[in-house]
Amino acid sequence: MRKHKSDRIIGALTVILLGVGLIIIYAIGPMRVNVLNSTYGVDYSENYFFIRQLINVAMAAVAFIVAFKFPYAKLRKISKFAIILGLSLCVILALLALTGSSVAKCELGACRWFSINGLSLQPAEVLKMGLVLYLASLMAERSKQGRLASSDFWIPFGVISVVSLAFVVVVQKDLGTGVSIMAIILAMLLMSGVKMRYFLLTLAVVAAGGVIAIVSSPHRVERLLTFQSEDSSDSYHIENAKIAIGAGGLLGVGIGNSVQATGYLPESINDSVFAVLGETFGFVGLFVIVGSFTLLLIRLLRVSNYLADDEESLVVIGIFAWLAAHVVVNIASMTGLIPLTGITLPLLSYGGTSMLFTSAALGLALQLSCYTEREPRKNKITVETSSKHGTDQIPQRREGMIKRRTL
Amino acid sequence: MAVIIVKLFTIQILEHDEWSAKAAAQQTRQNVLPAKRGEIYMMDGEEPSPVVLNATVYTVIVDPMIADRDEIADELSAIIDDRQIASWDDVFANRSRRYYIVGKNVERSAAEKIAEADFDGVWLQANTRRVYPEGILASTLLGFVNSDGLGQYGIEGSLNKTLAGKDGLLRTVKDINNVALSIGNDNIKTPPVNGENIVLTVDKSMQRNVEKIIEAQTEVVGFSNISALVMDPNNGKILAMANYPGYDPADYGKVKSASDYINHVVDDPYEPASVCKTFAFATGVDYGVMTPETTFYNTGSTIVDDWPISNTEQGPEVAGTQTMQTAFNYSLNTGTTQMLRWLGGSETDITGLGRTRLYEYYHDKFGLGQATGIELIEAVGMVQKPDAEIWGLNGTYANMTFGQNMQVTMLQTAAAMASVVNGGKFYTPTIVAGKMVNGKFIEAESKPAVRSTVSEATSATMREMLYGTRRMWRANGTDAPGYYVGGKTGTAQIIKDGAYSLDETSATYIGVGGTEGELPEYLIMVRVWEDGKKAGGQSVALPVFNALKAYVQDALKIRPKV
Repeated sequence: MRKHKSDRIIGALTVILLGVGLIIIYAIGPMRVNVLNSTYGVDYSENYFFIRQLINVAMAAVAFIVAFKFPYAKLRKISKFAIILGLSLCVILALLALTGSSVAKCELGACRWFSINGLSLQPAEVLKMGLVLYLASLMAERSKQGRLASSDFWIPFGVISVVSLAFVVVVQKDLGTGVSIMAIILAMLLMSGVKMRYFLLTLAVVAAGGVIAIVSSPHRVERLLTFQSEDSSDSYHIENAKIAIGAGGLLGVGIGNSVQATGYLPESINDSVFAVLGETFGFVGLFVIVGSFTLLLIRLLRVSNYLADDEESLVVIGIFAWLAAHVVVNIASMTGLIPLTGITLPLLSYGGTSMLFTSAALGLALQLSCYTEREPRKNKITVETSSKHGTDQIPQRREGMIKRRTL
Repeated sequence: MAVIIVKLFTIQILEHDEWSAKAAAQQTRQNVLPAKRGEIYMMDGEEPSPVVLNATVYTVIVDPMIADRDEIADELSAIIDDRQIASWDDVFANRSRRYYIVGKNVERSAAEKIAEADFDGVWLQANTRRVYPEGILASTLLGFVNSDGLGQYGIEGSLNKTLAGKDGLLRTVKDINNVALSIGNDNIKTPPVNGENIVLTVDKSMQRNVEKIIEAQTEVVGFSNISALVMDPNNGKILAMANYPGYDPADYGKVKSASDYINHVVDDPYEPASVCKTFAFATGVDYGVMTPETTFYNTGSTIVDDWPISNTEQGPEVAGTQTMQTAFNYSLNTGTTQMLRWLGGSETDITGLGRTRLYEYYHDKFGLGQATGIELIEAVGMVQKPDAEIWGLNGTYANMTFGQNMQVTMLQTAAAMASVVNGGKFYTPTIVAGKMVNGKFIEAESKPAVRSTVSEATSATMREMLYGTRRMWRANGTDAPGYYVGGKTGTAQIIKDGAYSLDETSATYIGVGGTEGELPEYLIMVRVWEDGKKAGGQSVALPVFNALKAYVQDALKIRPKV
């Protein structure tokens, strides 16, 4: 496929959402500073979080542009390196945490970040990017070889998936990120062309693994049991998120008038920013925000569906699942639909690494949107041979494509 | 996504009011802006002088989450000293309790030390407290302010509303640390209305000296309790009102019993006894049924409805035909009983007309058994109605002519007496002279007499009777020439457990005085008693009166007639 113009909607929504995030952090950053200063006796300046977020957004913009410009053809060659990098960082973090190094930043016994001179990096985000690139490459290659059912696929797929999840959920105790990684893996597997029964079998294994993961941790059992009960820190968190959202009403209290952000709502600038947005902009504002994410996700699906190249299509599916998991889990948590799960709201939450890698992923998706076909994949089997990437496709491959499901 | 939108619609539109109410409940801070309690002044000559002031004291609060026990415990305890009210173990038992009051009523100097030390997690809150520059002066008159800021007893109690003012209200949206925010439209600020500074009619130095004299007199006469009242009979203004023993209003908790707070002058009805003969004879003279020279035949006792009324002092010198002045001088109960018969148009019987007329004067005109209307909490007392359906009503009325079978306060007696001697004008007793506004004394308008009691002629006759009886008993010659001093004793049995006690009496003396030939300028009333002891008006109350009279005559710079 000849390169054409990128999907402007993806680009525009990314920029708009980053802008909204910047505005909300500008409004409530000083409140957060105030809470920290008076509670912990620290001395952050009023615009501490806003300035940091400005830097984060600038870095995210650079990452977005670099990912948009850096040719995927080159990137796909280093997909193995990306997953190795992601896993290596997790190993190093775990080792540093064991030695008690200050470079490993821990909160409540969960060590999830590297912290060097005030700059922090969450390796799980690198891991997500590595997984998307690696799994797309692995799946496309095995699919092309017609060996999606063989151990050549399932062993590396299984090992990488389990190891990744183990690091995130068990070592880093980060269920939220675990959920998003699971979403990435399952969505990509579903779209990879494996036989449905294999997918369902995998789903069953995951469900069993999930039950074990929950039962093995008293903390998680408690979370599940106290979900929607009155007296836990989680219910306090959700209650205050709902107070913020509910108090917003139809049109919201306006920028800078959020009271819940003055300390009542935990994680107001990070995971709970959706609730602050609800208080500030009301139902109308949240409708627009949820609509924007929905539109963004639909566009990503469309790009995936119109990409002729399997690997490219799977990369975009991975990015779609990544974004969708964050958006759905975050918002469902904040509105009390599911138990509280600590996860950022993409592009809006304060936080460098998450924003950086989400932007990079969207930049990559935007780059790939330049190569979409005129027809969706399922309709264009007959013209497949003329595709730039599809000249050497074999019949089985096409059969697989027919069986692909769209979300 | 559709589920999410539906959920958002539910929370934000359908349940909006509910969540807003929850938000308001946790985000709103209501602060009372305390009104400054009014101060109390007494007259110091022509100028008011403060006797009850406010001082700032401090409450010390510790946040155990932030405070370092090792750092503050010893040092802070040393500064707060005896004002510490919580142990450090209690304070630090639960760190999530972010607010613990460690000290109360901490003085400014100590508070300054705490502020200087700048401990983490320790802060101060200013409160006001009553201070008494004159110490225990007039404690039963002034009352005190309890720990809830409510005035109790005395002026503090009766004029609590005026003194307290009205607290203001500050309602703001607050952050999680209780700091007020400028966010929101329903922030309210109602400024407090400070209480009024009240100036009493009481003269500070006279009050102090009256208290000194009655304290000294308890030793002299040998009785533990003395109450005294000095008032101006020509306008009802109270110049001194004292009870011994008093208490320390700054440390009001340290009394033996709550009865120590009682102002016996206004809040303790009793039987003033023979003092009331003045009112009985005033009634008779005003109705024209008698003069001081009218005679009756005294046998020492007389029968009323089969019950004998007898005299306390009955010697051969008062037997037979006697004048009413003699009956007054020797406090003959038979004399006043005879007056009551005449009042009802009979020589031999007490009639309904007599009772009605006595009640008309006692209750309606003299105000006995009625609250006087002074700006203090006062007892009402009781005078039996002339048509009351009780057994022995005539006997009761005969008793009332010599001040028994009735319950009245010292102040009621004094106000009635003032009207008897001042030409027949009844003034509502008053203790409030005005108020201080921004350091300036704004005098209250003096109130005119509320009613007339007896005619001027009757009043003059009664002054003479009072003068006559005092002159007759003035064996020691305490009244210097050129002065008018008249007075009457009273000795009453005390009702204990519903019956008259046989071993306790209360002594009363009420007297008026001034320059000879002019209206009296002062009225002094004294009551002396002690549990389980018999006090006599003549032997015990009279000397106390004489001591007070000597001082008051001097203090008011009353000149003798030349």
